[in-house]
Parts: sequence; structure tokens; C-alpha cells
Amino acid sequence: MQRFKQSAFAAAAVALVAIAVGACGSGSNNSSSSTGSAAVTEISGLKQVGIGLTEPTKPSGAKIKGGTVTWAESPELTPNYIFPMTSFAYCSVANTSQFSAMLYRPLYWYGNNYSPTVNYNYSVAKAPVFSDNNTVVTVTLNSWKWSDGEPVTSRDIEFWMNLYKANPNNYCGYVPGRFPDNVTSMSTPNASTIVFHLNRSYDPEWFLYNELSQITPLPLAWDRTSLTQTAPTTDNGKLPDTTKAGALKVFKFLDTQSKALGSWASSPVWSVVDGPWKLTQFTTDGAATFVPNPTYSGSPKPTISKFVELPYTSDTAAFNEFRSGGPSAVTIGFLPPQDVPQVPAIQALGYIDNKASSYSFNYFPLNFNNPTVGPIFKQLYFRQAFQHLVDQPGWIKAFLDDAAVQTTNPVPPAPPSPLIKISAANNPLVFSIADARKLLTSNGWKVVGGGTTTCVKPGTAAGDCGAGITSGEAITFNLDYASGTASLESEMNDLEAQAKKVGITLEVTSHPFDTVIGAGVPCTPTQSICKWTAENWGAGWIYSPDFLPTGESLFATGAASNANGYSNPAANKLIDQTVFAPTRAAETKALTQYATLMSTQVPVVYGPTQVGIYGGVAGTLVSNKLGGFDAQAFGYLNPEAWYLTK
Amino acid sequence: MTLGVTVITFALLHALPGNLGRDLIANPKATPQAIAQFDQQNGLTGSIWVQYWKFLDKLLHGNLGFSFRFDRSVDSLLATDLPRDLVLGGISLFLSLVIAIPIGIAQAVKRNGVADYAGTAVSFILYSMPQYAVALLLIQLLSITFKIFPPEAPDGSWLYMLEHPAGLVLPIGSLTLVSYAYFSRYMRSSAIDTLAQDYIRTARAKGLPERLVLLRHLLRNSVLTVVTLIGVSVPSIVTGTLITEQVFNLPGAGLEYFNAAVNSDYEVMLGITVLVGVVTVLGNLLADIAYALLDPRIRY
Repeated sequence: MQRFKQSAFAAAAVALVAIAVGACGSGSNNSSSSTGSAAVTEISGLKQVGIGLTEPTKPSGAKIKGGTVTWAESPELTPNYIFPMTSFAYCSVANTSQFSAMLYRPLYWYGNNYSPTVNYNYSVAKAPVFSDNNTVVTVTLNSWKWSDGEPVTSRDIEFWMNLYKANPNNYCGYVPGRFPDNVTSMSTPNASTIVFHLNRSYDPEWFLYNELSQITPLPLAWDRTSLTQTAPTTDNGKLPDTTKAGALKVFKFLDTQSKALGSWASSPVWSVVDGPWKLTQFTTDGAATFVPNPTYSGSPKPTISKFVELPYTSDTAAFNEFRSGGPSAVTIGFLPPQDVPQVPAIQALGYIDNKASSYSFNYFPLNFNNPTVGPIFKQLYFRQAFQHLVDQPGWIKAFLDDAAVQTTNPVPPAPPSPLIKISAANNPLVFSIADARKLLTSNGWKVVGGGTTTCVKPGTAAGDCGAGITSGEAITFNLDYASGTASLESEMNDLEAQAKKVGITLEVTSHPFDTVIGAGVPCTPTQSICKWTAENWGAGWIYSPDFLPTGESLFATGAASNANGYSNPAANKLIDQTVFAPTRAAETKALTQYATLMSTQVPVVYGPTQVGIYGGVAGTLVSNKLGGFDAQAFGYLNPEAWYLTK
Repeated sequence: MTLGVTVITFALLHALPGNLGRDLIANPKATPQAIAQFDQQNGLTGSIWVQYWKFLDKLLHGNLGFSFRFDRSVDSLLATDLPRDLVLGGISLFLSLVIAIPIGIAQAVKRNGVADYAGTAVSFILYSMPQYAVALLLIQLLSITFKIFPPEAPDGSWLYMLEHPAGLVLPIGSLTLVSYAYFSRYMRSSAIDTLAQDYIRTARAKGLPERLVLLRHLLRNSVLTVVTLIGVSVPSIVTGTLITEQVFNLPGAGLEYFNAAVNSDYEVMLGITVLVGVVTVLGNLLADIAYALLDPRIRY
């Protein structure tokens, strides 16, 4: 999962818009208008965006050879780490999918235009071969070269694995018990082949999407512990990564080099690349200039002569630049939510407003282990009743400018995946105050709309409030959300109002994004950190590098990111069935059942997932002179496929 | 004073709910082991007092700490940001004084006249407008509509900024307009008080030319109030250009401080707090020195 957050500064400007919009209130009116050139589809009477560019842009003008493409970085999200082995502290799209992946190609590339699937054309390796009842995985590399002239070999993958195994906590893809813990041994029979022996049989698709996705081949030139050492070119059998202590030293060296931001462009370490781009300039503010890597082995080769990433201090500053300079100043930018009304003006300047989504879903957890209200949250009927209070269609229209999709389970509603087809229209818990009231009433609560609903039938029998809930107990809890995003503030205020209609009192508070996300930790009822009740950081979960939405790290019992302590044997079984499925058909079936179960189980509260490959924006602005630009499903940048036209 | 502020900042940061390491990582997927490792690597283990002592120890050795967000030392951040702030804040402070002092005096001398009312109206309008609004209006008018000046400040060293003056016009202009309104009101008020003093009347009665009355007697005595304000304003050169930095895309210390507060990047907050504390003391010291120079009666 990668962090993606909006500029906190947007709050100031957005708040003004939100006050105006919020005054209109949230409603469930399904009539909607599209914004700009957004692709809009009609699903069960609700217009939804999120389809975006289903194929690369094809401007009508003649192709230009060369030219510079400029990309606006998200405010506050500038690259600050170049080494592909990113720990959680550096695990952001700004560092990986929108930066280092252009220099150091991951073993497998994910995202086929707008489809969230593996793309072998862009990958370093051929499709993996699974054998011995899916306990052995053989990866064969394409014939690629590093920019120092050395070939990309299986030893480069072994190098990654050695660093990873030495301390798995150094990489944010690590899930305890999974990769690389589940690799019992590996071998490199030749320079282009590496074989992984696994501790048991795994679903090949899951292993490809969630485990092999974590690997980035590293050049042997990095296999050293100081800059004064000569960069190795071949394995002499004594390279430091082959021992745990040595691997830790190599990691420390590379980590230190990665923290020397000002030296990236001139670094003898970071200049060795196998991706299509080389970094020629980088400022500590986050401005990056890339030029084509002339020795790039993959295809397509870059046709533009320069790719520039521009940092912005706020979305206001960025949007002023788009408005003032147009596509000649910024080729690709983002549409701040508060500027949606200006879409016609921005289109007149020569931008396409693309409403593509990244593969993510939005939610917030209720803490099942909170000693006071945890017992209430553990009741399925309560969670379902609470989900009935979430007016997703109304929020999408009133607060999100139609730039969001309904979310009903952990499988992202957009982009559409051929691996699993879950329709967002299949929402078993639509916005309905009456249904919420009915659920509470039929489970032992005396509902007092506008007042305080209390439990009148304590106990564990059918129709009772449930275990741990006392007679006369009210439903009152704190809902803390990330400040700085007007739409989120409006959503939470609306939820507070809707909850009050069934006598649930939400004490809505806001804190900075990091504080909110930091408060929602897994805990046990007796711990002091377990006082939190509901934490909404507003950004949900984007699947990367766990590209298959199987939920083993999110909803499995005891999983590291299972913050609220959800535990359901049926969910565990389905998750296991996807992870260990023998065939793709079995995996798809289990994944579909899992998504269906999760939509009724409501382990977390689902909310609309915003569009935008930047995350949390109302769209991506693309120059109408830029060809080959695709709405990459995982937000990766591949400017080697882009071209400019007259 | 500076020490006290760091204690309060440190305590408040640690009083926030949740785990500071987890806040800094800000990733719901972070495992407890990864967070523990992060805490260990970044000195976030031990009691708050132990952590504070470590901070003080580093500070006393000239180390302002490390920004987890920017992946840079705080010293390095400030070395980049401060020169930019000095260019923006320093030039705008200078310009606003150069404009505000004579206009304030002129308004006082011609008080209750048409020019005074007009000046007061302009000052009130600018003073009541948020700096954010002034900046956006200038951009809309001079960058987007007429495309005379760029909407961004030149992002680079102080020298690079000075070499690209067109990009400085709007950010410095927006800062100057707002602070001009502030200073001119004080200057006018102070000058009116001074004009009522006996020594002004005496000077005029002696037949001293009005120009000399204003320069030698009025300006020197009435500017003391403004000198106090300048002393207080010096810290704002460091952190007071936050809005300008955000709107005109020029990261500076003010913006870094704001972002650090939002992101729990507490070493940046503490580093800038220390710096602002020092600058505040310096600003007041300079004001005191200026008092002594302007008014020989003042002795320390």
C-alpha cells in the first residue's frame, strides 16, 4: 500500500468552496452532470465516473520528435528517496511509481493502460512458470542491460532478495509470514533464470501480483558498502550482500546515499539504471529532470527528449500555473477539487480532463477493541445499520463533484479488472435511514431520532443488543477525520447528521492526516492506545505492491494492517482460498465470494473512492497535444510511451 | 525564552494521540516491527525527557535535527529556505517602510483632507484583505488575465531569485501591500501625536522650514513606534511569508514549519522554533539599539 494524501494547504481554499457546497446539503438525488470531458457511465441510475482513458491518447496532429513533457507533482508529495527498497517511511507514489520505477525497472510491471493487470511488455522478466504443484516458481529474464554495460541477470534479483531477507522491515511490501519468509530457497541456474522454492503451494496469480511484484533487480554496481570501493561489475563470490551482516551494511550504504538528495543526479550509484530514463537534475525541493537512457533494453524507447517533474507548494500554486501557462508550461497536471467549476476554462487552454482512478478503495475503521463501544462495533447489525447512514451517491454529487465512485467492498470499484468483476451497483447496504432504524430496532434498541438511542434488550439472544452491551447504553463515539480536505469534512458532518436521525451521537473531531492514521492502530482493549473509536484518514488503501486485492494484510485475523481487530473465520477462509488457490478459476471464485462477503460484513465503513492517478483530486489534466498517455491503473508513469504532436 | 518554547512544543507534540513513529510513517500497512525499527533508528524510544535531552544535546552541538518528511537535515532545509525568506520578507519589509513612512507622515500632516481619507481608505481595504486574497487577485489580474508577470516566484538560490525579478514582483508586491497598510496606519497615528508636541510648535514658531520640521523633529520622534514594530516584525521575515510561499510556489521556512506541524515532523518544528526564538531576541535587540540612536535620552 502506498500513501497518498492531499495537500493540507488545500484546506484553506477548499474550505471556502465546501462551505458553499455544504450549504446545499447532501442528498440522494441521482441526477448528475458530467464535468469536463469525463467519461461517465450510468450504473443503476447513478452516474459514475472512473472510466477515464481506456486507451492511450491519440492527438490528430503530426508527431514531433523530441520535446519536453512536464508533470506537476502532488503538493507536499515530492520524491525524497531514490533507492527502490523503500521502507514504510518512504513508501509513497512520489518515490516509487512516479519516480524510481522510471529509473530502476521492477521485475514485473503492473498496469495495462487502464487495466490493473500485469504488463509483460514493460517487464524485465517473462511470465513466471509455476511447477511442482505451484511450489516452485521459475523466472526468466529478458535480455536487458544496465547503463554501465552490464547485463541484468538473475544475480541482480538475488541481490535484492539478500537485502530483503537480511531485514524485511526495510521494505514496505513486507507482510510477516509472506514474501520473502515463504521462500525456503532460491537458485540461479543461469544468468537469466532464478528459481524460487516456496514453503507451500500458492495461487500463481496471487504470487505474481502480490509477491513477485515486490522485486526490483539491483545492479551489482551497488553491491558495496562505501563510495570509495570500486563498483563491482560481476559476482566474484565475495560480494558483501551474500552474508546477512554484509547485506545490512550494503543496505545502510544505499540508504545513506538515498538520503543525500542533492547528489542523486551526479551519484555514481544512482546513475546506473536499467529503466528508460536517467536522472540528470534533481533539486532538494523535488524538481527532477529525466532524459532517455540510450542503453534502455526494453520497449518502447522514449521519443520525447526530456521529462520534467515539477514540485508545487500548494494546489493553488499549481492550478495558477496551469491557468497562466497552459499545456506549454505544464503538460500533465491535476485538477484540484475546488477548481472543478473552471474545467471549461482549462479545457479551452488545451487540456483534457481525465477522470481515471487508481486501483484503490476508500474506507475507515471502527475499533472493535475499544473497551467502551467495541462491543457495539462487533455487532454485524450495527455495522450494517451504520453503513446504511453513508450517503455515497449524495456525497459524490454534493461534495466530490462526481469525481468519485461508490465503494461497497475491498475490491476497487475502478479501474475495472478482468480478474474480478464486482459491480458497484450491487450495494446491499444503500443509504437508507429507514433500514438503519429497522436494523437497530429489531436488535434490541429503542431508536429515538434526533435524540439518544438506547439498548432496551441487553443479551445475546436473537433480537438482543449483543454481547457486552448493557441496558440503557447509548451509541455515542468519537469519529476523528483528517483535517485539510473540505470534502471529507463535509462527508463527516453529513454522517453526523444522518446518524443523529437514528439517535446515534457522533463526536466529530479532526486532526492532521498523520495523527489520524497514527491513532488507528491495532490494539487490545486494556491498552491505553486502544481508546480510539473511529479514524478516517480519507485516503483508504491503494493496492501497490499488493496488486491483487485479496485482503490478507487488511482483513485476515491478526493481520498487520487489521487496525480495528476484525475477525471472521469465513473471511479468513476465503482469503486463504485466494492466496492458496490451485487455479485461476478457483482464485476468481474465492475472490468474488470474498468481495461479496465483505460487502455485507462491513468490516470497515466504506466511502466513495475519489478518482485521479494522483489520489484525492478531481481529475488529471492532460495536454491535448500529448499522445500515448494512458490512464495507468496503478498510477505508474511511463513517459517512454508518450509523444508530443503539433 | 527559546528553551521554554521548545519544551512546550516538544510536550505538545508528544501529547498528540497515537504513536509519533507511526504518525511519521503515516502508512496503515506499517507493521509493529517496522514502526519499532523506525522508532529505534530515529531516537523515538525512551521517555519524553530522554528524547528531549537528546534533542537538547544535538542542539548544543549545533545540530538542529533531521526532517523525516524531507529526508534532509533541518540545517540543510533552513540553509535553502532562509535566503529565500530574506529576499521575500526583507525586500517587502524595506519597500513597505519606504512607502508607508512618508505616506503616513503626509496623511498626518494633511489629516482629515481628501488625500488623508483616500489613503486611509486604501489602507483599510488592504489591511482588511487576507494576504491570500491579495495574492490571488494579483495573480488573476497580472498573470492569468494580462500575463504580465509569472504566477510563480523564481525557485532557486537568493541570487537566482534576484536574477529573475519579474517573478518577484507579485509575491513581494502582495507582501508589501499588506504590510504597507499596517505600517502606514501606525506611522500616521504616531505622527499625529508628535505634531501636537510643543517642540514641533516651537520649531515652527522659530521659523524653521516645514521640510526641516518634518525631517528633523517629526520623523525622528514619530518613527520610534514603527521601529518597535520593525523589531517585532523581524521574526516574520523567517516564518511570516507562509501564504506567499504557498500561493507563489516558493518553499520557505514558514511553509516548512506549517507542513512540519501537519506532518508531525517535530524536529523541523523545533529547529524553526529555536531559530525564530533567536531571531525574535535579535529583532528586539536591534530595536533597542535603534531607540538609543534615534533618541539620545534613551540609555541602557
